[in-house]
Amino acid sequence: MLDAHAVTLSPIETFILNVSLLAIIGWSMWKAEKSLSPGSDAMILALLGAFAVSGRVLLDPLPNVQPVTVIILLAGIHYGAARSTVLATSVALVSNIFLGHGIWTLYQAAAWSLVGISGSLLSKSLYFSGSLAISRVAAFSVAAAFLFDWVVSLSALHSFGIDMLPVYIISGIPFDILHATGNVFFVAWLSTPLSEVMSRHNSRRTVVRETVALRS
Amino acid sequence: MSDLVALVILFLIITFVGGAGRYDENRLKSLSVAWVIFLLVTFPTLSTEWARMTSELVDDEDDPHFGLPDIWEDKQVVCFNFPQGSAPEGYEGGRHHIDSDGTKFFTDSNWNGSGACVGGFSGFEIGIKLLDEAVFVSGGDFTYNSTQFSFGLQIDSIGGIAPCDAAACPEDFSSGAYWGLYHNGQMSLVGISDLPLEDDSVITWTIETW
Repeated sequence: MLDAHAVTLSPIETFILNVSLLAIIGWSMWKAEKSLSPGSDAMILALLGAFAVSGRVLLDPLPNVQPVTVIILLAGIHYGAARSTVLATSVALVSNIFLGHGIWTLYQAAAWSLVGISGSLLSKSLYFSGSLAISRVAAFSVAAAFLFDWVVSLSALHSFGIDMLPVYIISGIPFDILHATGNVFFVAWLSTPLSEVMSRHNSRRTVVRETVALRS
Repeated sequence: MSDLVALVILFLIITFVGGAGRYDENRLKSLSVAWVIFLLVTFPTLSTEWARMTSELVDDEDDPHFGLPDIWEDKQVVCFNFPQGSAPEGYEGGRHHIDSDGTKFFTDSNWNGSGACVGGFSGFEIGIKLLDEAVFVSGGDFTYNSTQFSFGLQIDSIGGIAPCDAAACPEDFSSGAYWGLYHNGQMSLVGISDLPLEDDSVITWTIETW
């Protein structure tokens, strides 16, 4: 072939290409959000879902470093358990269409949903006075990495007995540590702008604020 | 093990140097970049050292060399198991045995299945190197296709046989099949590219279903 299909990229070149694509998606999402009217929760959830799927697929060459866990945690904090569960399940399913779909998708969806639900339950501790408590969110994202990975590890019970599960989990600890470190990275770099976007488009908080304003 | 200790010490030094002093968001940003880069660069060493440590947690219930030729005792072996009727040409009717110099010397026709074991190797430290050598000495009969994922190498087919050639794989993913990797009779907890070997390791490829 004489077209671009004949060009073979090295792993580093592929990684640079993927990060560039992810940056374009993130920047476009940032620009698109500014043209939305306040309270466009559904559209923001869709954009977050697209960014999460893209991030997971494009960063696949990096073992267990991806933005999905942090995005779902933030969605849980801002949008509550139900909508973060929708996001978690959709992202698991759609990204696995590219990465490989099977029974593990169910465990990934359940694990990310748990992360979102936990974020929702702890939202008052993680988000207060109109801003995110970054250090707490970072600490919780570390716990969320281990929670996610260990729940997904339960899928291995389809292949061997429960006596092997502790060994299986222990053998995966280097991957858990990378997931946790990646989460801290994404919290440090993405949580403030994403939190601002989610706050601008949160009809639940808008309703609460308006109610408080009317009462006062 | 010493490599692992060195990595942990280096990680703590980076954390201490980068994180010393008052917390702020910018410090977390720079520290997180340093952590991620450090872990990604050192990950192959980290995961191999960790796999060596945790491999000792798995008990060998049976002698993995059971049923294999005595001349392979204390040697490294690679076995390829195929369901009846799905083996590559020439490897039906039991388990065939190929020595490390390529000599086919024995067929166990009473063995329940078909395929081959290639053995008599020594000195290989990582599973993928042993697998490649076994494929080479068998004349390419067990050439494999693979996909590189972030978590390691996935074997897609061996000897031209993909798992779904031998087992049902409906499009709704209600069931499926894969090439399962066993090390000394136990399902391997790491991929072939990260599997640390012992002097007498037996690695076995078998089509598993879910």
